[in-house]
Amino acid sequence: MKPFNYIQANSLVEAGAILAASSNGAIHSGGTDLMGCLRDRIWMDEVDVVVSLSGIAQLKYIRKEGDAIKIGAMTTLTEIATSSLVREGCLMLADAARATASPQLRNVGTLAGNICQENRCWYYRYSYRIGGIIECVRKGGKKCLAVGGDHRYHSIFGAVKKCVAVNPSDTAPALVAAGATIITTNREIPAVEFFTGENGKCSTVLEAGEIVREISVPFGGEGTKSAFKKVALRKSIDFAIVTSAASVLVDDGVVARASICLGGVAVTPHPSSEAAALLIGGPLSDERIAKAADAALAGAKPLKGNRYKVKMARAIIADTLAECS
Amino acid sequence: MSASEKILSLTVNGEPKRLLVKTHWMLSRVLREEIHHTGTKEACGEGACGACTVLMGEKAVLACMTLALEAEGKSVETIEGLMSAKNPHPIQEAWMEEFGAQCGFCSPGMIMSAKALLLRNPDPTLGEVREAMAGNICVCSNYEHIEAAVLSAARKMREDGAQNG
Ligand SMILES: Cc1cc2nc3c(=O)[nH]c(=O)nc-3n(C[C@H](O)[C@H](O)[C@H](O)COP(=O)(O)OP(=O)(O)OC[C@H]3O[C@@H](n4cnc5c(N)ncnc54)[C@H](O)[C@@H]3O)c2cc1C
Ligand code: SF4
Ligand code: FES
Ligand code: FES
Repeated sequence: MKPFNYIQANSLVEAGAILAASSNGAIHSGGTDLMGCLRDRIWMDEVDVVVSLSGIAQLKYIRKEGDAIKIGAMTTLTEIATSSLVREGCLMLADAARATASPQLRNVGTLAGNICQENRCWYYRYSYRIGGIIECVRKGGKKCLAVGGDHRYHSIFGAVKKCVAVNPSDTAPALVAAGATIITTNREIPAVEFFTGENGKCSTVLEAGEIVREISVPFGGEGTKSAFKKVALRKSIDFAIVTSAASVLVDDGVVARASICLGGVAVTPHPSSEAAALLIGGPLSDERIAKAADAALAGAKPLKGNRYKVKMARAIIADTLAECS
Repeated sequence: MSASEKILSLTVNGEPKRLLVKTHWMLSRVLREEIHHTGTKEACGEGACGACTVLMGEKAVLACMTLALEAEGKSVETIEGLMSAKNPHPIQEAWMEEFGAQCGFCSPGMIMSAKALLLRNPDPTLGEVREAMAGNICVCSNYEHIEAAVLSAARKMREDGAQNG
């Protein structure tokens, strides 16, 4: 690892000022993703300062305000997974947090860090220690190695700026399906607009020096049921191959509201409003769930080596919806 | 002292420590190479095996993913905090009785994960044991014995608690 300066900020204002004064500062929340990036030296520009937010106790909270659950940026995934408020008002988010990484990583890994984490494409992450950094298109280079190489875990919904690396966050699809809002030091961003592949190495629309402060999640009222499912090689520690989050409001036997979002299948979390629309106005029957699942995958363009993911995603959406009944 | 070095003050196994560390050093390196507590193992060095599990406060964390300076002012407990050949901790006793170790490399991390679980849940179900230990890999695949050891440790600690209480 290259040496860097390390500063614990006492406030977001101070953190912002340190970042502004640095040439390439990095935010450290739980550090469980950042430290891997720094240790493997996967980035083209060196990080000069690491600004830690872990001393800012005011950023750690889960509380209900009106119809929203407000989650402070430094709240850990363990705290979210075990919060009775989150379990009651947005079960898919609690279960997504619970399915992330391992107990030790969830004890320090935060929700803000989870949605801001870097992609896990194995070419992108190729460690400096085992053969030198790979400068693929996502890092400003000319080529994507995954399209012609081993892309079994990559996008089945095409490329963004030639990159087919998927967004690896488990909580992202739950936040998108919930219609959450990401509140930063500068603005409020709907979760569905927060993720991007357009912004180079960063997987979000955040600008340099912009810090996530809070995540606001609508509290699912009476009759709303949500669920989250994850397929990975092992039940623990492994990143997802596919995830799915869904929320359904059934009123008098008829679906009144529905939202569906897949994770691990595209450069950004992949919501399907077409699939959700098919569910509205009738019962949440197996037959209608199957139609919605087909619709969610209708636009898939898998690569040669990851066609299996289409079937997998279809099956897990159907499972997730069935769990909402 | 340059910008790449800072003073770290923390408590390790109840003893206050003050030392000069490089800002990019990880807690695993400081524990092993500066404080010479080599019970904490580093295997994968990337957060994926649990061999380096220690307690920070009462929570299990990975020493290989934790910057040493993140432990400033904190209390860290390692396997050395439990160890004493003549007077093993009930979790260590259970480990011996239930054959929790084959090669033993994963044991320090496993035992620290078990301690974190038993601190917050003295009477876990098998499912709860499995979930709490799911961040620790045992290459010898000794999982059944490890589960039995954690459940037996829980019983021992409840009995000790009842006697002392
Ligand atoms: C072995 C292993 C397995 C993992 N498995 C999973 C998994 O299954 N699912 C999953 O989703 N993740 C997984 N992760 C990734 C990671 O641990 C989690 O995503 C975790 O939630 C990241 O949170 P953090 O607080 O540690 O982030 P950090 O490492 O602190 O930050 C991650 C990134 O976000 C930026 N950042 C952090 N906080 C902010 C903020 N407030 N505002 C703006 N930018 C910010 C940082 O600069 C950094 O680039 C895994 C990691 C490891 C090492
Ligand atoms: S998929 Fe993206 S991150 Fe991976 S090699 Fe291609 S351009 Fe790079
Ligand atoms: S050495 Fe820390 S998790 Fe493997
Ligand atoms: S006993 Fe050998 S790794 Fe677990």
